[in-house]
Amino acid sequence: MHRPRGVTWRKTQVTQNFPRAVVSSPTKQRPAKMAGILDVPKPRINCSMLSQFINRAVCFVGRVEKVHPTGKMFTVMDGEGNAATVELNEPLEEELSGIVEIIGMVSNKGEIMANTYNMLREDKGVPFDLELYNEALKVIHDFPQHYPFQVTASG
Amino acid sequence: MWNQGGYTESGMVGGYTQSPGGFASPALSQGGEKKGRTRATQIIPCTVSQLMSASQADEVFRVGDVEVTQVTIVGIIRSTDKSMTNIQYKVDDMTGAPMDVKQWVDTEDPSVDSTVLPPGTYVKVSGNLRSFQNHRSVVAFSVRPLADMNEITSHILEVVQAHMALCKPQTMPGNGGGMGASSTSMVRQGLGITGGSYAGANENPLMVINGLSANQNQVLSLIKGCPDQQGISIQDLKQRLSGISLAVIKQAVEFLSNEGHIFSTIDEDHYKSTDNDN
Repeated sequence: MHRPRGVTWRKTQVTQNFPRAVVSSPTKQRPAKMAGILDVPKPRINCSMLSQFINRAVCFVGRVEKVHPTGKMFTVMDGEGNAATVELNEPLEEELSGIVEIIGMVSNKGEIMANTYNMLREDKGVPFDLELYNEALKVIHDFPQHYPFQVTASG
Repeated sequence: MWNQGGYTESGMVGGYTQSPGGFASPALSQGGEKKGRTRATQIIPCTVSQLMSASQADEVFRVGDVEVTQVTIVGIIRSTDKSMTNIQYKVDDMTGAPMDVKQWVDTEDPSVDSTVLPPGTYVKVSGNLRSFQNHRSVVAFSVRPLADMNEITSHILEVVQAHMALCKPQTMPGNGGGMGASSTSMVRQGLGITGGSYAGANENPLMVINGLSANQNQVLSLIKGCPDQQGISIQDLKQRLSGISLAVIKQAVEFLSNEGHIFSTIDEDHYKSTDNDN
């Protein structure tokens, strides 16, 4: 993941002139909750699979790490301890923390251009086991015939 | 535990609906023995993509080799539409477009919870797959919000395990994901790719195929194989299982009887299997 140099992300302080070194991707022009992306398969992936899903819709589950002061970018960590960068169309309107499930497109730089996200509640006292979820990801990618992310023509 | 010995396919059929909601459907006790009789008595965890791709012959849907009628899916509600008699949800589990789920509302019955769940709620849907004018949907008898988000993970694993176990009757389902001796090359490839912790060494492939030990399985199979009306006697069992002591046979019989696999007939020494095709 390429991060612009000389920029420190702090939660409370506004950094100066954060360079918008982002790829202008078609999804950025569309409203945040685009119906289109919800109607296609969104394979569940982790960081190690990002490069295989460039320009494709994915579903990424991870723990929120840092949120950029502008609220339009944050990092998430997957069950293997790797981090991915997520960009939003609109700034966050809420405090983002804990486990989040993001749906978006993977950019050429391996960042996730998020269309929509939802937080997986852990308020019932049972923490979400991210490492176990990561193991499940390995299972579904090893056995795509039993967990297909595509709809084949039915008989 | 609720199945008929691991000799036919679907050794682990009974174990799928581990929903905390506590479905104890008695239909689960009948496994998937398809000996010319269609028993639509299984509830199979599935993905929306599998339901949409399922082939349909008459009223029977199949995902690969697996017959699916009653299914469970886990996904997030994308939209809700409530009318007088039913609630329609669109549930998205990331494998494709959101699936239409219809839940009938019984306006007369006050105990039935007809609270509409808002979009953004993760739910487990249990119901029947239906096709109407080429449009697939699930008619749900239960739409329950997830108590614990780890149910997402467990459903993912259950889907793979269920379809794998039901598709490959010769492969011992074993412990979730673990491969028995007769694994196919496809399975071996899977183990090689991940070397992951889930595909750990299957130490005892013989044990826990259907929840019964080797002795219990032997006793059960002999009891099942007896065509007599009065069943087989403990003495007969002892004669035919010379390697097992009488005490162990009696223990096995008591266990099987408590679990409901067998029942006594003319006296307490004669037993028949509860699931005979005789």
